[in-house]
Amino acid sequence: MGRRVIVLGVVLLQLGFIARGYWADHKEFAFQMFPESSTWRATLFRVTADGERVPIDRPWFGYRWEDMVRDRGLSYPQYRHHADAGLDNQLAFLRAALDWVAANTPRDNETRYLEARVTAWHNDDPPRVEVFRSRAREEAG
Amino acid sequence: MNAAAVGVPRDARGLIAAFDRLLGRVVSIRSLALLRVLVGPIVLLHLQPFLSDALDGRIYSDAFYEPYASWYPELPEAVYVGLLCVGAVAAIAMSLGLLTRVATATTFAVVAYNLFLSTTHFHNNRAYLVIVLGLLAVAPCGRELSMDAWLRRRRGLPALDPAAPAWPLWLLRFECSAIYGASGLSKLLDPDWFGGTVTWQRVSRARGDLQAWHVPDWAISALTDRGFHTGAAKFVVLTELFIAVGLWSRRTRYAAVWVAVIFHVTIEASASVQVFSLLGIAVLLVWAVPSTRDRVLRIDLSDGTHRRWAAAVRSLDWLARFRIEQAPAGSRPEVVDRDGTRLRGGPAIAFTLSRLPLTAWFALPTLLLPAVRRARC
Repeated sequence: MGRRVIVLGVVLLQLGFIARGYWADHKEFAFQMFPESSTWRATLFRVTADGERVPIDRPWFGYRWEDMVRDRGLSYPQYRHHADAGLDNQLAFLRAALDWVAANTPRDNETRYLEARVTAWHNDDPPRVEVFRSRAREEAG
Repeated sequence: MNAAAVGVPRDARGLIAAFDRLLGRVVSIRSLALLRVLVGPIVLLHLQPFLSDALDGRIYSDAFYEPYASWYPELPEAVYVGLLCVGAVAAIAMSLGLLTRVATATTFAVVAYNLFLSTTHFHNNRAYLVIVLGLLAVAPCGRELSMDAWLRRRRGLPALDPAAPAWPLWLLRFECSAIYGASGLSKLLDPDWFGGTVTWQRVSRARGDLQAWHVPDWAISALTDRGFHTGAAKFVVLTELFIAVGLWSRRTRYAAVWVAVIFHVTIEASASVQVFSLLGIAVLLVWAVPSTRDRVLRIDLSDGTHRRWAAAVRSLDWLARFRIEQAPAGSRPEVVDRDGTRLRGGPAIAFTLSRLPLTAWFALPTLLLPAVRRARC
């Protein structure tokens, strides 16, 4: 009885993860390998309390984007990159990275939120432009 | 509580009973023992970048990461680094078969904990590694090819039964097949993939690399031609699906394993997939028939060459396929297969090599040679 439940549970869970891979941004245990040839690039800004948009391709308050975001091909978003695990996955990581950096730059007392202007090419489709914003920061003066 | 007690119809009861018998069937888990030995170094390769960063004073939480759940426990840096070290030591112990059950469970726990710390840690090869470690942890795979077994022998204790209920093996076979199937299916259902757009774009963008590797111009032209990918993409998809399905039938299993090895080697040569190739090839071992020493290799041990051949087979027969017996002086090597068929001389050698993990891939095609096929009697 016990082993029957375990085996059926694992099989159903695995099949569930495979199905979930068709709609989730992060496709854990869905094993969709090399899913797309999609590419993307982004220009990142920090938007100050007075509305100024300052590119963050150079350091601000001692912070550097590439030091804070080292994984998942996000270190140098200004260059066009392949979206290794698909565009949805890549852009979900970018949105999460914006939030993480916004929440982990306490010396920055100027920035209201971070913004990414993303150009994305899904396989050979025409480019699509999207704007993502981080959560608003309380530290901005 | 059993199926009868809960009022399950007779047909369903029969199915459930058959399913239970399948799961509980006692089989040799030699292939899992061998897989355990091979997975240890793969875990070390997997942990290496984390440990290397840790030695440089960096851990995942020093840069962008994204926890799966706010309640998931995060450890202080020193404890986290210590845990990674414990994982590495446990992987070595697992591979050696020292306190195997504890070592395998510890390796699984550390690798799984680390994987689920952040969405950024997630890669398909790591997910596969966690699955494999989890199933090795529940299987009694330390009863052979292990220090534990050696220590028991030294203490004069009887060896533990190397056979066990088959369900972890069946589950690992399911996972192995599901991975190829899920990958192939996702490509089959994606018109861009099946139509060749994805591979064409990827290869076209790598034109510079192809030139740097001195690939001939005609080959670069062919590889970056869209028409070529219309067919090549379908070939890739069908290859993955063939592996997923072909592994289940004894008639196609050897072909599926052979193709899977090429598939992994090709991926390793053309993409960065961390430990996926090594793990993928190692897990193919679980498709070996789960019984041991059920083929006989008869050799004239008075002959020096034959003795060396027997020694080579003994040292490479990691899945314990063969029982080696003394043949009459002057006779050629002979193999008796499970079904009683016999092969002698060269065909016997080819057959033997095709059943040894290290030489199987090279020797399997020789079984298709007419001379070898005719030699079965």
